Amino acid sequence: MSILEYNGGCVLAMAGKECVAIASDKRLGVQLTTVAMDANRIFRMHDKLYLGLTGLMTDIQTLDQLFRFKLELYAMRENRLMKPKTFASLVSSTLYSKRFAPYFSEPVIAGLDKDNKPYICSMDLLGCVAEETEFVVAGTCAESLFGTCETFYKKDLEPDELFETVSQALLAALDRDCISGWGAVVHIITKDGVQTKELDGRMD
Amino acid sequence: MNTPESARGGFCFENAIRNSVLSANGYKAPTARKTGTTIAGVVFEGGVVLGADTRATSGATVFEKNCQKIHYIADNIMCCGAGTAADTEHTTQLIASKIWLHALATRRKPRVATALSMLKHMLFRYQGYVSAALVLGGVDFHGPHLYTVYPHGSTDRLPYVSMGSGSLAAMAVFEANYKDGLTLEDAKQLVYEGISGGIFNDLGSGGNVDLCIITADGQELIRGYAKENERKYRRPGGYKFPSGTTPVVPGSEKFKEQSKDFALVTEQDGMDVSA
Amino acid sequence: MGESDYSFSLTTFSPSGRLVQIEYALNAVTAGATALGIKAGNGIVLATEKRLPSPLMAFDSIQKVSMITKSIGIVYAGMGPDSRVLIKKARKAAQSYYQVYNESIPVGQLVREVASVMQEFTQSGGVRPFGVSLLVAGFDDEGPQLCQIDPSGSYYAWKASAIGKNMVNAKTFLEKRYSDDIELEDAIHTAILTLKEGFEGQVTENNIEIGVIGEDKLFKTLTPAETKDYLTELE
Repeated sequence: MSILEYNGGCVLAMAGKECVAIASDKRLGVQLTTVAMDANRIFRMHDKLYLGLTGLMTDIQTLDQLFRFKLELYAMRENRLMKPKTFASLVSSTLYSKRFAPYFSEPVIAGLDKDNKPYICSMDLLGCVAEETEFVVAGTCAESLFGTCETFYKKDLEPDELFETVSQALLAALDRDCISGWGAVVHIITKDGVQTKELDGRMD
Repeated sequence: MNTPESARGGFCFENAIRNSVLSANGYKAPTARKTGTTIAGVVFEGGVVLGADTRATSGATVFEKNCQKIHYIADNIMCCGAGTAADTEHTTQLIASKIWLHALATRRKPRVATALSMLKHMLFRYQGYVSAALVLGGVDFHGPHLYTVYPHGSTDRLPYVSMGSGSLAAMAVFEANYKDGLTLEDAKQLVYEGISGGIFNDLGSGGNVDLCIITADGQELIRGYAKENERKYRRPGGYKFPSGTTPVVPGSEKFKEQSKDFALVTEQDGMDVSA
Repeated sequence: MGESDYSFSLTTFSPSGRLVQIEYALNAVTAGATALGIKAGNGIVLATEKRLPSPLMAFDSIQKVSMITKSIGIVYAGMGPDSRVLIKKARKAAQSYYQVYNESIPVGQLVREVASVMQEFTQSGGVRPFGVSLLVAGFDDEGPQLCQIDPSGSYYAWKASAIGKNMVNAKTFLEKRYSDDIELEDAIHTAILTLKEGFEGQVTENNIEIGVIGEDKLFKTLTPAETKDYLTELE
């Protein structure tokens, strides 16, 4: 078993019209044993920037702390909030600086830039950025998520439709993954605020 | 720079011991994203044409359908990358940085051979562990140049080159059709055919054909020169999920308004790990 | 630098609380050729005198206006060799910022970075302060900007400023000439006129140097031919 699958879990982000969604499951496992159902792998960096982390939970939590630390120093030093694209570069260079002894985590970044244009990207554990305009996925059921997103994705979805589409894509993929699931959480980031909902998922 | 997030230069091995313990216990290190790739280049009279496919893979899964494998080094030098995607991306960025500083310090337009030396020295120093296989092309004071760089730091200088898992397909096309003194249009066609050969015959390569033309007058990057693998099937109207389709945990809904002014968000909604 | 037991900072307080070494460094700046900068609504201009000690010297071998990033340039007054150290550090700082964020360094961050190097050299052991003042011109998300950094490491943003020999007269001249709605072309003319004020002898395209950033946000040093065009316009 790959170390990326040790704790299970997955993250998905999808772009809509002036809104963006980021969603994840809530399971924390130790291999096939479920140890928690309230795991959090999506972190708010600022009001319009969310970071999702998949992989080894210890690294997920370390990276969350590290990036918040860096982001706050940046905000104090430069007196501005970081743009999503700039944040992606920061994450990428941070991960690549540990090229030969990496953190075991694959990040997903979702945010709105200053014109409320959605920005989404995913990365591998070495910090290779893949910017997309439609959707990005990561985690133990990435392949299934690719399938559901390829089918369900529609351009320019409004926040409500985006929520349903993302939720359906996520729940369908979770149904075929033993080590992800146990409920899910979806954040819809819009220019007015962030709508968070938890989903009723399968518990087996 | 003395900020904590700035790279101090070189790599950090902070996690090395932890990671080797994990791998000794049977948790093998995951694989990084690769660009199972076809990249190529051809010299024509007055310049070079570089080409690349746009597929990034992780194992047998296509992780990105339209990634950019032609990287910027300087206004007159570009570099195609194959191998571990993170390595090609960051290696070329690092060299672009060094070339810019070198150009300012020497007050000269950068030369392709300078970029080549910097790349091969760096890759040789890392003994092949930085797995970047590159096609470097550009036009400088001495005219057009085209090189390949192997991950261990060896290099070739040739009028037509290819690299990556689809290099054999591309080279077959070049060997059959290359002639000295190609025109720009012929060179573009030849590179396009070479990359197409990789896209259709090598399963690690796919997506679109990107081209980059560099002449003494400048460079032009053509993303999606040929798009022969566009998705052709989509359900008309798409799938519609009316509001309320997905069951939501009652009472779980939260709405957080955007801060009106500059506000640093520090409050944390992380998993409660206290006992 | 300054590792030995006997190495201490040469910049030490006088009983009255002054750091005379920094004041001497400022004297070195004031002895240098005049340099000035003007911020316009749509760009910035930097200009400097380029005095040749001898007519036998090749004028094109001297470069006093330096590019740092595509949209930031620096001009100095004071000791040329000292300025090169700072220019090199500025360029490196700009690149390491770019490597982390994939975004050009904002002018304010670059200025802070260079200023902190200059400050370090007022306090470290075994070193002396830099004998230069810098004018940094840049165009970023916040618009056109002009900053001055002094040997002490202090820095300020300016609408227009002058450093080096004649700086007092030049600043008085600029105060009279400057208006908040000045356009870049006018600013270039004003910059040349200001240089002409305190100039010994005739201003030619070979004894001044001009750096410009326009609305394209690209910094460039004018060629002698371009400078000559501006000089003819003023005649």
